[in-house]
Amino acid sequence: MPASSADWLADARQAALEAYEAEPVPTWRRSGFWTTSLRNLDVDALEPRRYEAVADAAELPAVVRDALDDEPGALIVQRGGSTVHLRVDDDLAAQGVVVCSLEQAVADHGDLVREWYMRRLSETEGKFPAATAAFWTGGVFVHVPKNVRVERPIQSVYVIDEPGTAQYAHTLAVVGEHAECAIREYCLGDDIDGQALHAGAFELYARPGAKAKVAHFQDWGRGEIYDISTKRVEIARDAHVSWVPVHLGGRLTKQTLDIVTAEPGSDMRHTGLYFTERDEHLDLFTTDLHEAGHTTGDTVWKGALTGESRASYEGLIEIVENAQESHTYLQTHQMLLSQKAKGDAIPSLIVKTDSVSASHGGTVGELDEEQIFYMMSRGIPRIEAVRTLVEGYFEEVVQRLDDPGLEALVRRRIGEKLLAAEDQVREFVGHRAGAAQEA
Amino acid sequence: MSLEIQNLHVRIEEREILRGLDLTVRKGETHALMGPNGSGKSTLANTIMGNPNYEVTEGRILFNGEDLTEADPDERARAGLFMAFQYPATIPGVSVANFLRMAVNARREEPIKVKEFGSMLGENMELLKIDRQFTSRYLNEGFSGGEKKRAEILQMAMLKPEIAVLDETDSGLDIDALRIVSGGVDALRGPEMGSLIITHYTRILDYIKPDFVHIMLDGRIVREGGPDLADTLEEQGYDFIREEVAAADAS
Repeated sequence: MPASSADWLADARQAALEAYEAEPVPTWRRSGFWTTSLRNLDVDALEPRRYEAVADAAELPAVVRDALDDEPGALIVQRGGSTVHLRVDDDLAAQGVVVCSLEQAVADHGDLVREWYMRRLSETEGKFPAATAAFWTGGVFVHVPKNVRVERPIQSVYVIDEPGTAQYAHTLAVVGEHAECAIREYCLGDDIDGQALHAGAFELYARPGAKAKVAHFQDWGRGEIYDISTKRVEIARDAHVSWVPVHLGGRLTKQTLDIVTAEPGSDMRHTGLYFTERDEHLDLFTTDLHEAGHTTGDTVWKGALTGESRASYEGLIEIVENAQESHTYLQTHQMLLSQKAKGDAIPSLIVKTDSVSASHGGTVGELDEEQIFYMMSRGIPRIEAVRTLVEGYFEEVVQRLDDPGLEALVRRRIGEKLLAAEDQVREFVGHRAGAAQEA
Repeated sequence: MSLEIQNLHVRIEEREILRGLDLTVRKGETHALMGPNGSGKSTLANTIMGNPNYEVTEGRILFNGEDLTEADPDERARAGLFMAFQYPATIPGVSVANFLRMAVNARREEPIKVKEFGSMLGENMELLKIDRQFTSRYLNEGFSGGEKKRAEILQMAMLKPEIAVLDETDSGLDIDALRIVSGGVDALRGPEMGSLIITHYTRILDYIKPDFVHIMLDGRIVREGGPDLADTLEEQGYDFIREEVAAADAS
């Protein structure tokens, strides 16, 4: 393929391949009960699958069509290892906005890609980041030029709908100086019968004065899809990024999510949501890194667990030396909705300078019986009260999506998950009410 | 149409709080239940509504002849009971309007029409001098004491219970808020509703004249009478009644 034959990229892939071969398959452990292990994943049985492109979005897999309910300004879809659909509105193209596969961008916009490619990512971060850097195909490239304002969202989709798939995915987005846009990236899986892997890299650079809304919507379905990804967002001087990663499903997810305020005046709003069920395993580590003074951050992560699922959220605020006058806080909450679910939510702080304000807080809890009693005293049945309270608990973070279409999708999926867990939630809450009575 | 409480004994965490309480409230009547802190007033309110933290060890709660002692709180509410909470819970992410709609619909077969709900809400908000934008706020989140109590009475007005228990609705209100809240309660009184107003102080009774006054001490009702009993209490205080009761018990 001519696009991938660029020498600089071939060299980068070679370095990544060497790093990949040198690294063992990792197991992530830390104090307490937490371990994320890939021992049940048979990586050697997986392969990058190739698909024919479809010109008409109506021919995309159903799981993609169901999630995309409105007309984006641009849409790019990668199925397995192949870019299968690309549509960019004429008005976006006329403004000079580029949305295409990363492969294509290497060929058509080689210098621009080379300038930004893996600026904040490295093949030395572990076996899977190395694998992604060595093996990615298709990929997504977004460039919004200086001073351009894009009204409708730019959507990229990674979909896995067949077992045995290994998807190495790389998205590179550059939002130019004083440019404005909204980017939604979906990771969607069908309820496949078997294993698959998504090893992803996402990097976004918001240039000085830019404003970007970035949403990640992950729902890998009920199949055995493993997701090991690194996502990183860099915010330059006086730029603002609101980033909302949403995790609604996947057999095992291990992600590193970092957002960096890199220059004075840069501002982040970082909001996350997750809901795990059945035997899902979710392991998230986020870092809000303040690399310069006079930067601000506001982070809220909320999760809920049902079934026998496991979810761990660790959120770090790091303020480097000389980053005075940075102001930031991080809040994380986790709600356990079944007796067998297990999780933790750990905020932490590393501050290497003075004259900053940084605070953090974390809670892991159950539903509040007082709230349930209050709602029931108005005639609302217990199960409806529980559902309303959980939906209400998430509402704060759902609204921070600031995107009606995506908000509706997330609310709908939360509603469906609560309905699916109705019996265990009722039993759990009932059990707790019984326990309170005995006390 | 009545709420009948018979020989009610209630425990919370191994401690007996109500020790044989009898009380009947009929539709159309207004009762005031007064008592010092710790006499069991809030326990009674919570037990009437079915709070699972309170354990009934003896006695019954009948509503329109039906035994509700073991009923879940939502069944009691749908039967026509209501409690205005002393400390209402915060319901994050659920607006006042949505909460009210949910509660109104919980006791109907068919969901209420948008227009009907809107006009009912408008009228009741006017009655309680509640600002329009209030209904889009999350229920009780960041509400002042007065706003919380108004939200409770707004719910009462929307749900039109047969019997309402108001648990220290007057506590923590300044005079203006007290006037608005008690004015609202007074306006909702009528042949279709009975109420049990639980209070520590007599000041709410300046706005809502009760038909009956009950005085509670140590988990039982020790004195009953008409509105003048509240005046006696105001003049002489709970200690006087406590001494009287102690003297009567001793003889």
